[in-house]
Amino acid sequence: MSSLSLPASGLAGQRAMAVIEARRMARHPVFLLGVTLGFVVLGLYFVLVDDETGVPVVLTLPILGAFYIGLTTVIAAALLTRSTEVAIEAVATAPGTEARRTLALAAAGIPPFVAGVVFSAALVVAATVIGVAPQEWWFGTLPDWQVWSIVLMCPVACLDGALLGVLTGRWLRFRGASAIVVVALIAVTLLGQAPLLDTHGSEWRLWVPWALFHTGDNPDGTQTLIAGNPAAYLGYLLALGALAVLAAMWHDRSARTPRFRALVAAVALVALAFFALAVTTGNPDNRISDPIPSRVTR
Amino acid sequence: MNGATSTVALTDVGKRYGRTVALAGVDLTFDRGVTGLLGPNGAGKTTLLRIVATSIAADSGEVRLLGRDPHASHADVTAVRRQLGYLPQELGYPSDMTAFGFIEYVAVLKEWNDRERRSREVRRVLEAVGLADRASVRISRLSGGQRRRVGLAQALIGDPQLVVLDEPTTGLDPAQRADLRRTLSALGHRSTVLLSTHQTEDVAALCERVVVLADGAVRFDGAVTDLVATAVGRVWLADEPGEDALVSWRTGTGRHHVVGGRPPPGADPTEPTLEDAYLLTLGSDAQRAHASS
Repeated sequence: MSSLSLPASGLAGQRAMAVIEARRMARHPVFLLGVTLGFVVLGLYFVLVDDETGVPVVLTLPILGAFYIGLTTVIAAALLTRSTEVAIEAVATAPGTEARRTLALAAAGIPPFVAGVVFSAALVVAATVIGVAPQEWWFGTLPDWQVWSIVLMCPVACLDGALLGVLTGRWLRFRGASAIVVVALIAVTLLGQAPLLDTHGSEWRLWVPWALFHTGDNPDGTQTLIAGNPAAYLGYLLALGALAVLAAMWHDRSARTPRFRALVAAVALVALAFFALAVTTGNPDNRISDPIPSRVTR
Repeated sequence: MNGATSTVALTDVGKRYGRTVALAGVDLTFDRGVTGLLGPNGAGKTTLLRIVATSIAADSGEVRLLGRDPHASHADVTAVRRQLGYLPQELGYPSDMTAFGFIEYVAVLKEWNDRERRSREVRRVLEAVGLADRASVRISRLSGGQRRRVGLAQALIGDPQLVVLDEPTTGLDPAQRADLRRTLSALGHRSTVLLSTHQTEDVAALCERVVVLADGAVRFDGAVTDLVATAVGRVWLADEPGEDALVSWRTGTGRHHVVGGRPPPGADPTEPTLEDAYLLTLGSDAQRAHASS
């Protein structure tokens, strides 16, 4: 039997371990700090940003949740992963393998995912109650599936943050590794797409782990919706998260069976397929909205 | 019981770390009961225990645990680990976990999947090590001795057939050590318990069998009383330290406890302790061992 094929009792154990890891994440101070910051900043945005036409640039707001919850979750998940390794000799001589412990750690992504869902729901509810300008890229000016896909990038990014943290915790053992990964993630996200946003090839920006679909207000009061298929991009993000878990499990040599290698290859292919779909379908070019008079700055 | 059916059977087992020989041709079998491993620092005790605990593999020789070769297959090592409790010499603890949380985590790894049964088992082992009232306290807030007992508790989950304890009494006060002895002696009736320690009095109080290791080899293997018997007539109380004594020290009464060598003038023979016999067994290594104990 390979170290990854689970008998029925193994599945029950995996579930029990996953529950423990999810609970640990839900109580982790770094994660709780991120959630608090995310919701406070969102609340302040609604209260302080004053626009007669409603909530401005609402489709850019999921980035607040991804930033505050998703990035702090990278650190929290890396710390959780490392914390049980201090007891490695006792833990490693129990029947379960490191790969299974890593798989259970993926459940630490559940609380951030739920926090991201609540964040996105709060965003949609607030925008519905307060209202948005009729020219905004939002329900009515965009197909619903595109709006939902962009809004749901927040919980998926929060989930992926946890999975990236697990990957970091497994492979990078030096102090401050998770902070460096967070900085690198921001750098890659910015530098990987900024030069492409205003070009005809803007859909190629979609390889980055957080692609912008909405520019915010332009100086002439318009807004730009950037090319690509947000639903396929969501699939790409989920596949990247799965790859992060598999790469973390790869740390356990006993897990590297032919079946596991095939699984890694399959998930990598799925990620590539979603990326190709995101680039080639959806909005073929950047789209400019009608101007919103109250947002004209020149 | 012979080697083929013993809980632990080590045949000509060797282990090196670079040029350092940690174990050289060790032949030992262990069965139900408590066995103490004694030896100076670097004698190979921890290496031996780590091999028995499946934490590391031997470089040479044959290791059979519960009738299986633990490194033959994943199924074999898993089967052994299902019946194994291990307290490593240096065990770290997750700072965010409570005593209960950590033990529960290990219990899950040991396949205690049913939540209710698992909780009962965790409470049982915490009770066994006297930490029931500290179950909800974060491990980072426990004293060194209490943490050690948390480590011991995780090794006792599921009443394993094979229990391997590397210096379990480190950091425990006398009352805690007495409690631990009670726990382990009860465990020894149904399990094979191997423990290493620098405390000869723990071995004397608890173990029916003692193995003395030095330089990776077995110097003595037998009953505790047999080891003590080897020192009869070689230990004295004297007014001055023995000139050629193996070791001697001034006791609280002002007289010198002299081990080995010729008796100093006016020396009175005294009943040897296990420590005396252990030092005599080590011979020239005794000074080092005595200094480290």
